[in-house]
Amino acid sequence: MVQTAQSVVFEGVAKRFGAVTAVERVDLDVKPGQFVTLLGPSGCGKSTTLNMIAGLEWPTEGRILIGGRDVTHLPPSERDIAMVFQSYALYPHLSVFENIAFPLRARRRRTAEPELRERVRQAASALGLTPLLDRLPREISGGQRQRVALGRAMVRIPTVYLLDEPLSNLDQQLRVQMRSELKDIHQRLGATMIYVTHDQGEAMTLSDTIVVMSGGRVEQLGSPRDLYDRPANVFVARFLGEPGMNLFEGKVSGGVLRGDGVAMPTVLGEGRAAIAGVRPEDLIAADPARAPIKGVIRTVEFLGSRTLLRVDVGGAVIAAFVPLGVPFAAREAIGLAPSAADKVRWFAADTGMAL
Amino acid sequence: MRYVTRILAAICAFAAAIVAIGPIVWAVSTSVKRNNEIFAVPPKLIPSSATLDHYGRLIAEGVHWSFVNSAIYSIIAVSSAVALGTLAGYAFVRFEFRMKNALLHLFMAAMAIPSYALLLPTQILFVELGLFNTPAALPILYAAHVIPFAVWMTRAHFASVPIELEHAAAVDGYTRFEAVWRVVLPGAKPALIAAAAFGFLYAWNDYITSTTMIDSPELRTLPVALIFFQGFHGRDWGALMAGAVIATIPPVVLFLAFRRYLIGGFSEGSVKG
Repeated sequence: MVQTAQSVVFEGVAKRFGAVTAVERVDLDVKPGQFVTLLGPSGCGKSTTLNMIAGLEWPTEGRILIGGRDVTHLPPSERDIAMVFQSYALYPHLSVFENIAFPLRARRRRTAEPELRERVRQAASALGLTPLLDRLPREISGGQRQRVALGRAMVRIPTVYLLDEPLSNLDQQLRVQMRSELKDIHQRLGATMIYVTHDQGEAMTLSDTIVVMSGGRVEQLGSPRDLYDRPANVFVARFLGEPGMNLFEGKVSGGVLRGDGVAMPTVLGEGRAAIAGVRPEDLIAADPARAPIKGVIRTVEFLGSRTLLRVDVGGAVIAAFVPLGVPFAAREAIGLAPSAADKVRWFAADTGMAL
Repeated sequence: MRYVTRILAAICAFAAAIVAIGPIVWAVSTSVKRNNEIFAVPPKLIPSSATLDHYGRLIAEGVHWSFVNSAIYSIIAVSSAVALGTLAGYAFVRFEFRMKNALLHLFMAAMAIPSYALLLPTQILFVELGLFNTPAALPILYAAHVIPFAVWMTRAHFASVPIELEHAAAVDGYTRFEAVWRVVLPGAKPALIAAAAFGFLYAWNDYITSTTMIDSPELRTLPVALIFFQGFHGRDWGALMAGAVIATIPPVVLFLAFRRYLIGGFSEGSVKG
């Protein structure tokens, strides 16, 4: 089976439901063979975007091209895509075999029975489903159903794989296992995959490119490393990372950003309102008398390899990872400082955009 | 205590079975008795010598043609009502259109109106339309009666089918119609069979619509044909019972064939409706 990975291009695509804008003029260029994740909180428009690629919903504006072909107004059946649904959407009355074989029985790609059997057998054996082929979906476990859904997508040679939160119904352990299997499948097939999730762990580990969405807009697009190290705005800064980036708002005076509990040296111009962002792992404990960030420890969470402190700084709660050796206690005063000057990311206070 | 409860339950079930099956057994017995034994005192359940004379008389009177009429009317009415009702039931669940709720309520209201209340206006309408006393009259009216029930049953099923199943089929390369046919309808079997069974029983047993809309003997249905054996000078119980036995056979066969679905279908309608 030769995969024919294709590109997916969005040109100014928008989707409105009456007065509500679900997706706002999105431009996107997914290269053949890329693994791209649409990441964002519920209601950010990521599933609508995926549904528009699938043809389950049509854009109100703009064009969608798959492999250079304009598919904006083609029905799903003519787009030659494969999709894995969050609920798996297995056909309850059909056996595992018939579920996997279902796309091959469609009139437009009617496959001869011996070839169909061979392809189902291949997909089933790649996913460890061979002993289950005669069972009905209700007779197998959640993880196995998830594999059947993948098998149904893999049995043909689609141009693009669309995956809508495919792991969210699995328990933690299985999720991590399936995550690696997905990565492996992507590398083996070399297929274009577009993945929707609200789980940044999945997005980070799986993707070549992450598209962070919120309120129907693309907030930032880039490699996981890029997004983590250089968030384009405060939304991305806060959304990525567990916990997200700490943000300190203030005004520059005398070369220092001054806010509640914060006095951070900066090169920004005098009088400018700005936000300083520091990741929890980039904060170190410092002498409370002279530290740029002063606060009171609210909770101390033991995480095994390190400790997470929640610190009250001028009414806001920030997070800091500290090494295990140092004893900290709740309600204790603490000073914090960025571990290096280049670990501070600056944002404009009015627009929230990176400076 | 438990033992006593179980014995009581068994007695009740047995009594209920006698009440339900007793008349049928009596009808079968009467249909093969000679005339002099039908009114014998004390009554005899098992006749001393059985006869098929009464059945022969039904055929001589052409009642078998009424049986055929009933079958044709019922089958046409049920198949068209189930087909239309299924499409409508699907539309009510999956499409947004104007007056959707009003229409749905109208369907439900139609189920509540007793059909005899509409007989006279319908008859006048059918005379005007040239449908009175034609082979089309009864299938149309029976279908009209069954459609709301079919809509109700199928709608409940379609509402329980996640839209993702249809989406998955669409992505897998199927048109909407194919997706519904291959993915949604197979699960609707109990609902469809329950609707069909209800419709068939209604159409098969109907007497009043049939007497109002049909005049000619050659278009008559079985219940109407049998009434003529009540006669002016006394009832021909033997022939009446033979007719009743024949009339009972199709519904019983249907029930036995589909009982698995019927029980499932009725509970589906009652729980999810």
